[in-house]
Amino acid sequence: MLSTTLGSLQLENPVMSASGTFGSGWEGRQFSDLGRVGALVSKTVTVRPRHGNPPPRIQETPSGMLNSIGLENKGADYFLAETLPRMRQLAAGAGGRPGPRVVINIGGESVDEFVALAERFSAAGVDALEVNLSCPNVQEGKLLFSTEPRLTERAVAAVKRAATVPVFAKLSPNVTDITVIAKAAEQGGADGLTAINTLIGMAVDWRRRRPVLGRGIGGLSGPAIRPVALRMVYEVARSVRIPVIGVGGARSADDVLDFVCAGASAVQVGTAMFTDPALMVHIVDDLRQRLTAAGTTIAELRGCLHRPPDAAAPAGCAPAAHAPTGHGGQA
Amino acid sequence: MQTSVHRLRRCRDLGGGSFALEVDGPIPPTEPGQFYMLRTEHRWPVQLPRPFSLYDRAADGSWGSFLVKPVGEGTRALCALRPGEGMVLNGPLGQPFPREIEDPVCIAGGVGLAPFLLLARQQKAKGRDLRLLFGGRTRAALSGLEDFAGLARVSTSTDDGSHGFAGMVTALLDDQLQRGAVEPGEVVFCCGPDPMMHAVAQLCEARSLRCFLSLETYMACGYGVCNGCTVAVQGERFKGWPYSRTCMEGPVYEACELRH
Repeated sequence: MLSTTLGSLQLENPVMSASGTFGSGWEGRQFSDLGRVGALVSKTVTVRPRHGNPPPRIQETPSGMLNSIGLENKGADYFLAETLPRMRQLAAGAGGRPGPRVVINIGGESVDEFVALAERFSAAGVDALEVNLSCPNVQEGKLLFSTEPRLTERAVAAVKRAATVPVFAKLSPNVTDITVIAKAAEQGGADGLTAINTLIGMAVDWRRRRPVLGRGIGGLSGPAIRPVALRMVYEVARSVRIPVIGVGGARSADDVLDFVCAGASAVQVGTAMFTDPALMVHIVDDLRQRLTAAGTTIAELRGCLHRPPDAAAPAGCAPAAHAPTGHGGQA
Repeated sequence: MQTSVHRLRRCRDLGGGSFALEVDGPIPPTEPGQFYMLRTEHRWPVQLPRPFSLYDRAADGSWGSFLVKPVGEGTRALCALRPGEGMVLNGPLGQPFPREIEDPVCIAGGVGLAPFLLLARQQKAKGRDLRLLFGGRTRAALSGLEDFAGLARVSTSTDDGSHGFAGMVTALLDDQLQRGAVEPGEVVFCCGPDPMMHAVAQLCEARSLRCFLSLETYMACGYGVCNGCTVAVQGERFKGWPYSRTCMEGPVYEACELRH
């Protein structure tokens, strides 16, 4: 009922952690049984250690928050030696249950760095890679890769050549047309797309006459961006044939199912984990209840907005007003 | 550890715009300086929970309280809870004031008083009265002062001279140093507004006192995953890394560990 697939990757359920919002999962292990989530996605790992951006790094905003952490992490050597074994421990199945997939989010400043990371983590036997083409908090004033279709395609293609595990490309919403970038990533061979990263935003403290965040701008996340994320997942799912992982402000089973209807095969939970560290497991339980009550499955709901209205479907799941026809991408 | 929902028992007005929010237990054993992330169970008007020191705790953990001053949407929602309504607690979190210091000089400003009531109870149990220097703008701002009656030797300071020493709490510390009530080589625990802690740290450095500060930083998660609450640090403990998560390695730091 809850199982889903991301290309060749099987997930017990569609609930994943969003990169950068749950560390490696290790700090959150005490709050719930993480063996029950679909996948754990690591905070972005870079080739070399990154100290991150100067504080203040976060600010709550209406229905969301801004962050400019700046990919603080201790680098790939440390991650492989210290963090990955812990993630594996969390992901170890129990009682015949397979446990969550381990997805490593990699961040490079060049194609060569992405390739090096893809090689090392493939060799380490992780379940999948998520390529962070889109962190808004690094490289002063410009975005990495994901605002330029050719760069996106080149980076993804290089990662695909180096990787022996499924590769998901994480897309930026800070573009004119996300479907152009999505298609470029698909063209580059991505096995799936994660949409969306944070929206670039800013908070100002007029009394001190300066931006609130140390770096000035940051990435907006939380329920505030959910309608934008849903729209972009909907558009991306319609324009590619590879699976889409939805992310952006989900904090309940209903939110997850909304993303699934829009075309997501799995959904990441991010900012809401700060409020409730046990939330992913609660969502898994609620999903089971919702789907049982509605007599449906993730597989059946997935992308239903893209299918022609079906007389058998409950009203409201396939609004004829904007459901396109003839796009069978996720059907 | 789990997040858990606790019923509000009462909201005690401490004067000066602050309240002691008392909730049903069980409240786990908590060291002075450790904190909890709090939010209301229903109608939480913001996204992120808010960090608070545990103010007081029944010896058997059957209730606990938090010192809250409503200054924003989150704190207002906490203070608007009615008895019987639920508060969600996640804690205890973070590192406490160092346990091995036997007789610290505690310095509090405003709601920075919060971590010291538990410490006063701990010291009392060992047969000692905690030394507390407590500063506020006015007498009214010394919220919670009465709770220390019989538990601590409290010296107060007010900017307007309406209670205790007239002047800032740093001037009170300086006065006590001059009178020999506090001596070089002693250890200070401090919690309060940033400018006050900065001034206390400077004075301690000048007078050869070790100084530990309990920082109040903006936090998202409180349990080490967001890397949002970092402060700039130096020193061996951080192995060359320039930032530290207040929620994990803090909120208590020795003043010399912090880079300003």
